[in-house]
Amino acid sequence: MSEKQQWEAIANHSKFIELKRKKRNFLFSWWIISTIYYLLLPVISGYFPEAFRVKVIGPINFGYLFILSQFVMAIGVAIYYAHVANKTFDRLTKQLLEALQ
Amino acid sequence: MKKRIAALTVALSLSMFGAAAVSAQAPATAAAPQATATAAAPVQAAAPPAQATGATQAAPAPNAAAKVAAAPAKGGAPAKITPNRGITIGMFALIIAVTMGVVVWAAKKTQTASDFYTAGGGITGFQNGWAIAGDYMSAASFLGMSGLISLYGIDGFMYAVGPMFSFIAILLVIAEPCRNAGKYTLGDILSFRSSPKVVRGVAALSTVTVSIFYLIAQMVGAGKLMQMLLNIPYRVSVIGVGALMVAYVVFGGMKATTWVQIIKASLLMGATTVLCLLVAIKAGFNPVGFFTDVVSNSAIQEHVRMNVLKDVIAKPGVDYGQRFLEPGLFLKNPLDQISLGLAWALGAAGLPHILMRFFTVPSAKDARKSIIVALFLNSSFFFMISVIGFGAALYLTPQAISAVDKGGNMATLLLAQHMGGGPGSLGGDIFLAFICAVAFATILAVVSGLVLAASAAIAHDVYVNIIKDGKADQQLQVKVARITSLFVGTSAIVMGLMAEKENVVALVALAFAVAASGNFPVIMFSLFWRKFNTAGIVSGLVVGTISALALVMVSPVMTYPKKIAADAKKVVETLEKKQAGGAVLAEKEVQALEKSRAEYVKNKDGKSMVGLDAPIFPLKNPGIVSIPLGFMAAFFGCLLFRERRAEEMFDEIDVRQNTGIGIAKAADH
Repeated sequence: MSEKQQWEAIANHSKFIELKRKKRNFLFSWWIISTIYYLLLPVISGYFPEAFRVKVIGPINFGYLFILSQFVMAIGVAIYYAHVANKTFDRLTKQLLEALQ
Repeated sequence: MKKRIAALTVALSLSMFGAAAVSAQAPATAAAPQATATAAAPVQAAAPPAQATGATQAAPAPNAAAKVAAAPAKGGAPAKITPNRGITIGMFALIIAVTMGVVVWAAKKTQTASDFYTAGGGITGFQNGWAIAGDYMSAASFLGMSGLISLYGIDGFMYAVGPMFSFIAILLVIAEPCRNAGKYTLGDILSFRSSPKVVRGVAALSTVTVSIFYLIAQMVGAGKLMQMLLNIPYRVSVIGVGALMVAYVVFGGMKATTWVQIIKASLLMGATTVLCLLVAIKAGFNPVGFFTDVVSNSAIQEHVRMNVLKDVIAKPGVDYGQRFLEPGLFLKNPLDQISLGLAWALGAAGLPHILMRFFTVPSAKDARKSIIVALFLNSSFFFMISVIGFGAALYLTPQAISAVDKGGNMATLLLAQHMGGGPGSLGGDIFLAFICAVAFATILAVVSGLVLAASAAIAHDVYVNIIKDGKADQQLQVKVARITSLFVGTSAIVMGLMAEKENVVALVALAFAVAASGNFPVIMFSLFWRKFNTAGIVSGLVVGTISALALVMVSPVMTYPKKIAADAKKVVETLEKKQAGGAVLAEKEVQALEKSRAEYVKNKDGKSMVGLDAPIFPLKNPGIVSIPLGFMAAFFGCLLFRERRAEEMFDEIDVRQNTGIGIAKAADH
């Protein structure tokens, strides 16, 4: 088998297709969701600054909490991703490699 | 031999700092800001385009004079920061000695090209995470961001979100695929299924452009920082920092660069944590109480009213203290903010020196781990910086901070001195000296990574793969890599010396815009799009890079002499009017008058670098225009010239990037 056919064979392997589909669905949807949430920050602070001024606890306002929530969001996405990748993606990859042996 | 050279470099740099520190007892004012555009934010300017937005607003020249007129100077003595020379130089020496030890150790282990560029892939995910985090904790974020917060409140904190969020794109779509499909450089990933020579050439050009812009900005920032801290002349500090950086890279390669980065990141995290804890203790671990103190602090209220909003008479119904916690004091143009946000979210993933770090770990799993570690470290770092910034505003007052440096860059240092026991006390001196030394280590570590990225592109892509067709033995490759690093480092020193008066903000904006508009689209398409090919890569890189460059050149971040002249004229007129009214000018006002007159004459007929009187493009960050342009050029360029081979080879890169099969063989070691 030529090298090219080898790659093609793996690319058409059912396990590989499953791995790739799961990975892309997960990664791209979370990437897009988190980016939209992130871009809300300049959009709200720029176009709706009064929302940022709403006091929540004492002098601490919505703006400050919203910025903090960005940190929470990023860490949350990272932890969730690490969890899914360690559990699902790595397992599927391992299974694929075993099937190819 | 290597040992001797390393020792020599240590001795040289030490003597340079020593000599400079002693001889440079020149009045601090001589070292003070000259050109308004650059002086506004020398340190923060070294930050990603974040700072670009505000540098010109931060401290426009005319306001300085207006401020002088409005607020009587306290005691007349110019405020400045005075580190204890002996202790500070001792700390610097210690850091140089430790890092040089690392270089000597790493030099022994650097034998193959893989050792040089990627530390043989032998860095663990955890270590690499610290190193990546270190790449983000530049002097800009360490000093500039806290300063921004101390002067402009919550707007400064908003800056921290971009760098923190940029890890998400890297984590989800860049790090693991690049680790799996790449080897040493951007060119390796892009040339996978396209015409290697053409693509490597263009990729190398783009890498060198991005790294050099970033590098020069860091060098200029380093020069100004050392000038401000220790009164070391600009030239001496640029050459000193440059010599050390060259030594790290040439002898120690990636291994030394990574370990220097790790050491500095731990020192920085340690210093930040201690400082943040001291603020928290002082505030009784009560965030609500802390912010209540901030908003009810009369100095902060006055600063917001007079210096930021310029309301000479308080407007009824405005709570100027609360205003400090609301957006809009510093960031004024929402579209610019969105553009900047995009540049961050995508640009960081296209920075060559960050990209290179994924190749230093053995597997995609480690690449993933390193990004997660880096994200944790940096988000806690940026959060602590915000506490330090607000703490500095509360305990030192914004007036005192901006009196030392208009851009607020000295806030962290002043707070350290204050918390350590105040100026002149032993604790204050030691803490201040420590923080200065950490800031110095920070610059060294960051510039080393940049030199390595630029020289890898030249040595590996251009020399080995284009000129030598990939046929060069390991010894020759390492030798070429070392020579190239020496060359890149020396050029960086020379350019850093020439760029003393350049607007570094523009340089950083350029680096990020090019990375986001040129590199990012082609990396994404190469990894995820079957039809992508040589024509797409070339057109994407060329159009993305050129559109970003062109837009920055005509944007407000460039220097427009006519505008400076107009501002200077206003100052002259105000002060002359005052004089004509019979008032006697204070000494500072007389100085301001003379300076403004000279500035007016010098600038009245000048034009910007590309010959403009005023900016054509309204935004300081071109991302919102140039990123889509880069994507479109890559897309259409690729469709215009179909390439069957590239499509056929997609299976290979797809399998590799998803599974790690055939990973750039640990064969090299």
